[in-house]
Amino acid sequence: MKYSAMLVAAGVLSAGTAFAQQGPIKIGVLYPLTGGGAVYGVPAMAGHQLAIEELNAKGGILGRKIESIERDDKLNPAAASSTMKELITKDKVDIVLGGLASSVGLAMSEVSKQEKVVYISTIPKSIQITTDKLHKYVFRTSANTDQEGDTMAMLAGKNKLSKICHLELDYAYGNDLEVGILKALPKYAPDAKVVLTLKPKLGATDFNPFIPQVMAAGCDGVLSGLWGPHFVSWVKQAAPLGFFSKIKWISGGEIGSHEIAGELKAEYPDNVISNTYELWYHGNDPSHKEFQAKLAKKLNTQETPQWAVLGYIGVMYAAAAMEKAKSTDPDKVAEALEGLSIGTPVGKLTIDAKTHQANIGQFWGPMVKKPDRAYRMMEPAEYIQPK
Amino acid sequence: MPSYRQLIASAIVVLLLALLPLAGSRYAIDLTTEVLIYALFALSLNVLIGFTGNISFGHAAYFAIGGYACAILLTTYGWPLALALPAAVVLAGLVAAVVGYFCVRLTQIYFAMLTLAFAMLVWGVAFKWKEVTGGDDGFTGIKMPAMISHHIGYFYFTLITVAAGIAALWVICHSAFGLTLVAIRENSVRAGFIGVDTRHMRWAAFTVAGTFGGLAGALFGMYHRGMYIENAFWTESANVLIMVLLGGIYSFIGPIIGAAVLHLLQTFTNQYTPYWPTVLGLILLVIVMVLPDGLIGLARRVRGRGGRP
Repeated sequence: MKYSAMLVAAGVLSAGTAFAQQGPIKIGVLYPLTGGGAVYGVPAMAGHQLAIEELNAKGGILGRKIESIERDDKLNPAAASSTMKELITKDKVDIVLGGLASSVGLAMSEVSKQEKVVYISTIPKSIQITTDKLHKYVFRTSANTDQEGDTMAMLAGKNKLSKICHLELDYAYGNDLEVGILKALPKYAPDAKVVLTLKPKLGATDFNPFIPQVMAAGCDGVLSGLWGPHFVSWVKQAAPLGFFSKIKWISGGEIGSHEIAGELKAEYPDNVISNTYELWYHGNDPSHKEFQAKLAKKLNTQETPQWAVLGYIGVMYAAAAMEKAKSTDPDKVAEALEGLSIGTPVGKLTIDAKTHQANIGQFWGPMVKKPDRAYRMMEPAEYIQPK
Repeated sequence: MPSYRQLIASAIVVLLLALLPLAGSRYAIDLTTEVLIYALFALSLNVLIGFTGNISFGHAAYFAIGGYACAILLTTYGWPLALALPAAVVLAGLVAAVVGYFCVRLTQIYFAMLTLAFAMLVWGVAFKWKEVTGGDDGFTGIKMPAMISHHIGYFYFTLITVAAGIAALWVICHSAFGLTLVAIRENSVRAGFIGVDTRHMRWAAFTVAGTFGGLAGALFGMYHRGMYIENAFWTESANVLIMVLLGGIYSFIGPIIGAAVLHLLQTFTNQYTPYWPTVLGLILLVIVMVLPDGLIGLARRVRGRGGRP
């Protein structure tokens, strides 16, 4: 009797799993869709959706359709943590992607550790995610502050800067990037000295107290982590003073992206060398053209934003890992992601088996005027990939 | 003492909640845990608002202090929960006592502004003191005792703690002290004339509110296995204020209802649209224009109208 009961139970259970196999694969994703982060989160979500549409058109993953469950992370780690738990416990997602702020990335990583569900951090750069707080289920497909700092130090050496002014925003990303730069500076520019370090606040709009200090410090170059609106404000306030005519501005924070060039247009200053994850007008991989064309169609603009590619790569990695693992089991997917290489619109990427960090590079180059364009473009754009 | 009916009703509610894990839905358990924590948080604020008539715009400060302190003591210093939790609650209470000492010298809008200022100070400390609090990366990876690290275990732990907290607040609010607070709310000048040291009483109320806010914060941090500076920000203070207003400030259980309704509404809204702030704005509009006594006030009005000829 007991045996038959167990057999029935086993039958019901296996029927249950067989039934589950028929359902779609669920991918949960969080990006900031409202408020200040939406400028980045909305394009990233578009890239995410593009990848899902492409995969579904080809029959999905493991022959199952993909269902994307999309939520706003509100740039708030506690809200993201609750929402991610909900995706896991209520919607039963197989994997979670996304995040933008470092704190949100760390909060999501914590939930992933607790719930034993794979989380791919697609934008957060905090180095902690792949160092101190690393665990089995977390992976990163964006750059991190060590990689970015390393390249900035290299560019400081290449441009023969001797007296450096260092500008970082006073919060996690700025502080981590500073550490990354200072770690690498002796290697690439042993003679360079940091003569001034200034840390404006995150969200600052008035840089008038800082600009004269930098101009008086006598530095020949600035290493900066002022991203997006901070850079725009700095330019508007500093350029009229002739700031950029004497000083080379080497910057992380993706101010070489078309979004910033398009916003500043003719106001974009000389002497800026910066980075971007992707450029709509320049690729380093044959597949980029096709990706960009699809994205342009989806967003209804030729000049597509760089953030989309990060959302796209996250989904492609999730899909590749499940195909490799032939399963959606988090343990197997996590194992599959270790050392996994895939082709992406920015070339072949590999996730390091130990650090769980993808060797994604960025385009770096000077922003130059173009006679036929209202905005500057990065030329030559060099794709620098970490070793 | 509460009436028999009230005691029995509370016991039934706690018992029903205790049976929730039998339903087997992990999601329902998590959601209820969150609601319980917010209920205690809102209730602690109402000691100040509903009972004493002082509106605080900085209640998140004590929530954050409780949460951070408990997290840091458990994780960085490896204290057992039995020590870390009380220590965190006491610390939140102490900070509330210090802040309250200054705040109760003022009334009305000046009082509210000063509470906001102190709360932003707490936020600033959490942000700047990176070595200890993790700065804006947040403090993640809280070490939990094995007994409550499972979600059902944590649910029961929260249920017991919150129930005890609510019971304690009930006793405090319905004691002579609580009635004195109501007297101050109704007419602080007259209360002073009959011999009440209103400033001391308001100070005590401020401390009680901060202490229980700290308890809610500690529970919140452990639930999320992390504390973040956003938890100390003024938006969090505003959120709990809206919970209290929505439920109704002139009733003991009002804030509990408000916390549950607002949190569940937010959770369900987010499943359909990211535009929760719009919904929140509408709710606030309705409270201010039509429901000054909150949902409890509405229920009373409906019942009152039905009873009248």
